[in-house]
Amino acid sequence: MLRQIKPRNARSKRAQDKKAPKSTENPKTALFLRGTTCSQIVQDALTDLYQLRIPLAKKFTKKNAIHPFEDAASLEFFSEKNDASILVFGSSSKKRPHAITLVRTFAYKVLDMIELYLDPESFRKLSQFKNKKCAVGLKPMLLFAGTPFENPVGDEYTIVKSFFTDFFKGEPADKVDVEGLQYIVSISARDSVDGEESKPSVHLRVYLIRTKRSGQKLPRVEVEEMGPRMDFRMGRVKEADEDTMKEALKRAKTSQERPKKNISTDIVGDKIGRIHLGKQDLKELQTRKMKGLKRSRDVADEEDEDEEDVVSDEEPGKKLRKA
Amino acid sequence: MADPAPDSKISKLPVQVTKPTPYTFDLGLLLASDPNPLILSSTTNLETDLASTARDGAQALLNQLLSTCPITSTPSGVLLSLPSIQTKLPREKPLPPQKEMTTWEKFAAKKGIKSKTKEERKKMVYDEATGEWVPKWGYKGKNKEGEGDWIVEVDERKERERKEGTERQGDGRRERKERVRRNERLQRANERKGRKNGGKF
Repeated sequence: MLRQIKPRNARSKRAQDKKAPKSTENPKTALFLRGTTCSQIVQDALTDLYQLRIPLAKKFTKKNAIHPFEDAASLEFFSEKNDASILVFGSSSKKRPHAITLVRTFAYKVLDMIELYLDPESFRKLSQFKNKKCAVGLKPMLLFAGTPFENPVGDEYTIVKSFFTDFFKGEPADKVDVEGLQYIVSISARDSVDGEESKPSVHLRVYLIRTKRSGQKLPRVEVEEMGPRMDFRMGRVKEADEDTMKEALKRAKTSQERPKKNISTDIVGDKIGRIHLGKQDLKELQTRKMKGLKRSRDVADEEDEDEEDVVSDEEPGKKLRKA
Repeated sequence: MADPAPDSKISKLPVQVTKPTPYTFDLGLLLASDPNPLILSSTTNLETDLASTARDGAQALLNQLLSTCPITSTPSGVLLSLPSIQTKLPREKPLPPQKEMTTWEKFAAKKGIKSKTKEERKKMVYDEATGEWVPKWGYKGKNKEGEGDWIVEVDERKERERKEGTERQGDGRRERKERVRRNERLQRANERKGRKNGGKF
């Protein structure tokens, strides 16, 4: 936990306000760092991921003696110090070769972590593909292919999906330039086969998009691999606490009105509302008025009164005639 | 985009993507999910398989984007307006606590005092009868309406309750002045009350 500083001048106040929680948040910063042992392959992979993430990224080059799944305190410290809520930690050991740990934090505490083992054979760097790269800081398109990502119950694959969605989200934009849709990040995994021990690996590919005239309104899309190319095997996972996740998924109440219930508009544009009435009391129902059905008739003694009523109805008429 | 007429002779390239299970999109994130099982024929042509899946996905996503999002062309380029993000992603920091109400805000809420609208804050009001804009107060103010009338209907009840030594003439002005004094009285009382409670209501 960092020391809480009371701002003494406008500059530090601005800096503090920038870090303060907001209802619509700043885009997440990603921090890339390495452990004490980190193979060249993992280092290259980190550099490439960093390249894709610029400008919302920071990269450390020094070695850090961190074991995220044993003690994440240092990661939490770095997260707070750099105001970064996505951490990508690379390490390599005999037991866990070419490991990349993806960490997300909430309120500078680790929210979820997943360890992915990079396949050293199939790994290709960004620079190994000899073609034109897309501009820095462009918003990528994202594709998740394969059934594992659709699991309604949270597992490693849904965490991977959620993490990479967060990772490649970039700056929030309500408008994008069509010219800016230049590349797609495709993350895919095949189905797990019964009887096979290991979980299916996740393939991360980045493709440039080429559009061709198709003779129709929509263009024909072709892809060309841009790199990097990474295949991951699943490693250790630390799933998020249910409570913390619930807290993290909270949204600020927006000023815009919520859709009113039970009111809809049909195709013609007429407003249709559904009304829920209370239970009707049929005792109070007004049926046809008849002399014989009068309640007072039930009591025999009060017959006289009834007759009087009838008479009084007629009397004014009589009087009129007399007058 | 190409005009369909001249190109129609050239064999059309397919742009539709058909999959057994349709894609799901979150256009706010430019995200497409392909729930179909990934078909990998063999390890040797893994890359071509992945590329074809990616191509289909990119095509489907681009089709969806271009067909559903409103497009505006500006001098800087053709812009797509994206819908809001549907996917639930965790925040990085908790929601900021709601701001506490000030003493005045609490008091105003209790009393039902609302801040004046822009229209109410203006000095001039429209006079329906004459079709002119007149000031609410001051010289020829709206609040002096009827004070200068040279003929006024007699109110029987008012005449009966008339104080000794007053005349009907100047009634309007007297009432207005009385209202001003009443307001000042209340103002002083409020101030006194405020002081007594130490600025708290």
